[in-house]
Amino acid sequence: MGDAFTLLFTWQNLALLFVGTSLGIVVGAIPGLTASMLIALTLPLTFHMEPVGAVTLLIGEYVGGISGGLITAILLRMPGTPASIVTTFDGYPMARDNRAERALALGILASVVGGIISWVFLAGMSPALARFALQFGPWEYFTLVLMALVMLAALAHSSMVKGLLAAVLGMAFALPGIDSSTGSDRLTFDQDVLLSGFGLLPVLIGAFAISQILRDAAAPVSKERPALPKSRLPVYWSDAKVHGLNMLRSSVIGTWIGLLPGIGANIAALMAYTTAKQVSREPERFGTGYEPGVVAGECANNASIGGALIPLITMGIPGSVTEAILIGALTIHNLQPGPLLFQNAPEIAYGIIAAYLVANIIMLVLMWGAVKYIARVAQIPRAGLLGPILIFCVVGSYAINGSFVDVWVMIAFGIIGLGLEAARVPLGPFVIGFVLSPIAEEQLRASLMMSDGNFWEILQRPYALLFLALAVLTLFWPAFLARIRDRQGALKNERA
Amino acid sequence: MLIRYCFCGFWRAARASALIAMAVGAFGLVGPISLSAVSAQEFPSKPIKVIVPFKPGGRTDVVARLISEKIQEKGWLDEAMAVVNVDGGAGANAVNQMQRDAADGHTIIHWHHQLLIAAAMDLGNFGLDDFKSIGYTGGGSPVWAVREDAPFDTLEELIAHLKEEPRSLVEAVGIGTIPHFVGAMLANEAGFETRYVTANSGADRLRLLLGGNADIALFAASEFLAQGQELKALVYFGRERLPDLPDVPTATELGYDVTWANPNWWLAPAGTPDAAVDALSSALDKAIADPEIVEYFRNNTLEPYWMDGEAAMEDARKTLDQLEDVAATIQ
Repeated sequence: MGDAFTLLFTWQNLALLFVGTSLGIVVGAIPGLTASMLIALTLPLTFHMEPVGAVTLLIGEYVGGISGGLITAILLRMPGTPASIVTTFDGYPMARDNRAERALALGILASVVGGIISWVFLAGMSPALARFALQFGPWEYFTLVLMALVMLAALAHSSMVKGLLAAVLGMAFALPGIDSSTGSDRLTFDQDVLLSGFGLLPVLIGAFAISQILRDAAAPVSKERPALPKSRLPVYWSDAKVHGLNMLRSSVIGTWIGLLPGIGANIAALMAYTTAKQVSREPERFGTGYEPGVVAGECANNASIGGALIPLITMGIPGSVTEAILIGALTIHNLQPGPLLFQNAPEIAYGIIAAYLVANIIMLVLMWGAVKYIARVAQIPRAGLLGPILIFCVVGSYAINGSFVDVWVMIAFGIIGLGLEAARVPLGPFVIGFVLSPIAEEQLRASLMMSDGNFWEILQRPYALLFLALAVLTLFWPAFLARIRDRQGALKNERA
Repeated sequence: MLIRYCFCGFWRAARASALIAMAVGAFGLVGPISLSAVSAQEFPSKPIKVIVPFKPGGRTDVVARLISEKIQEKGWLDEAMAVVNVDGGAGANAVNQMQRDAADGHTIIHWHHQLLIAAAMDLGNFGLDDFKSIGYTGGGSPVWAVREDAPFDTLEELIAHLKEEPRSLVEAVGIGTIPHFVGAMLANEAGFETRYVTANSGADRLRLLLGGNADIALFAASEFLAQGQELKALVYFGRERLPDLPDVPTATELGYDVTWANPNWWLAPAGTPDAAVDALSSALDKAIADPEIVEYFRNNTLEPYWMDGEAAMEDARKTLDQLEDVAATIQ
């Protein structure tokens, strides 16, 4: 671990982390631009970097992207990222009440505390969990991925049917290419370009960036200008006593929700907010500009990143779209996240962990010092940003393989994404279905190969049974779902 | 062509265009003096594009870059060699890219026997007839390994166990990839049968083997050596024992006629003039004998040797026959 910090503290890596975090904060603060989009667009730039530097940049963007959203959530009631939706509940009323500075101060502080607490779990659990996960075979991976798919489709969106529909559609697009279990081509229609299937990045950039650009180009320009924070951001020593317990609880909730694959930072924030409200002595004050509301949401959404990094580095299973891209970044550098990453590339495994902590600290410094300027950047008319972003999308997709086919794929998925959103079919499960179904398929078929086609061998695999049970439970727990649905009004526009 | 280089990745683009700029500059300097000697047929007349059908960083890519740099450094060809990575589609993308350029030797591919597997499995619209073989610059062979605590110390014990209880052991392979074909060649030869579990990368095979979810897996000798103590190698598929693994017998020694020496194979499009192929092969022949290259090969469990184009093609056709037998069993 110490070595990882030494490795991280070269000026290049720190500079990359700094650049990544500040880019992330700015993009996170601009409503409509998300961390996933930023990471997908910068990935082609990392092809020829050192692996540690590449990962450092992307982790910085991830942390910054989730954190920056609180600024616009508080000042404009427009969450910069879906993860900050909950922050609008109490943050915006506080700002209306001339307590914007206080809301920002608490939000930033809570983000950092959430990040650091989940880092403790990340650093403490990952190596042991990786050793444990080494015994996982195809059955366990298959059921784990299945659980992730079901959870994402069922929990994260307003309609379970539409979530599942989106996931199945995503799976369908993952089918063409070389069948990993027989080595023969499948659904390629004799087109050589389809032999490697649809590339992850063109699909992601298309579904997230292009569809967003097309949608924004048609949207009216918002005239609303935020009241910029005027004074210093106030924090008091007494905050530790007033908010300490809430911070700890919300961070732990955030970490554990993040740990479950497929559930994003937004759900983590919502869970922590609901819990804080339930245990509060003054639940009626939530939603009216009550400080613990801001604290709970911002602790949990940042903590969920640390939690989500755990299955990523120990098992190689992406919990969200952002992580799917991070895995893509590692595989480009011939590194495979999974139980052996700690053995084979400890500098990367520990480098991710170290970078996550340092990114949180950089985020604190940047946000504390520059919140006023970031708020101003967030006011740049988006029309001016769409053009350059579109150029980045095209160049980035082309750069992956030096092939224009990827650009067409990107544009096609941009239009598909636009259509899906218009039909209110969520994009998160669509993309996760696309990313996870090849893993699920490969692992299921590997399991059946191992057992000579006998599906009941799963009965001898206790962990696989456990994951399967959790997946089934998620599907058929209407009481639980009903409670989640109550909150869905606010989550309409979210994605993984 | 310049444009195609430029978009292959920002840094690669910078590097490639710098190379071209240097090459063009050098030509400009030398040009006027040697103009009388340069006829229209002279090869090479522009930088040579070396297509690698994989992402940057793998063995095939590194060897292509080392050899290209060496040839350039020593001036064995008059022009620069620029490596371009075109991965995906089981190599079909790379072949398409090659066929888009003229068959004049200025666009070549550096590949290995995955080409034969793609041909045997009928992936992509290409076969051996689409290529003219320039030659092999050495190659490497894999080992078959089991966990260190496995009850077998020799291949004989393992095979005896499998003959007693057929299909009782699980082999981690990617169906239709090199580990699958090599294992199946041995199984056909020795007459045993294993069960398979899909594992499409060396890291996956290692994970399944160490986690107890597979019993046997194939590793490149360098992968095996890097892993160290937790594995036990039972057989090496090279023609002779590997100096780094003096105690691991070859399959041939044990009486099984199975070798898998995966070469660094240089290929030009069919129809490339012989003069260009000869110029390339003479440069490659010199490069593989260079002490620095030899040292890199030895340090990375590769064998440095030169096999000329025709001999290489003959070797490849023989291997393809064997692979087609295996492919017939899975399709």
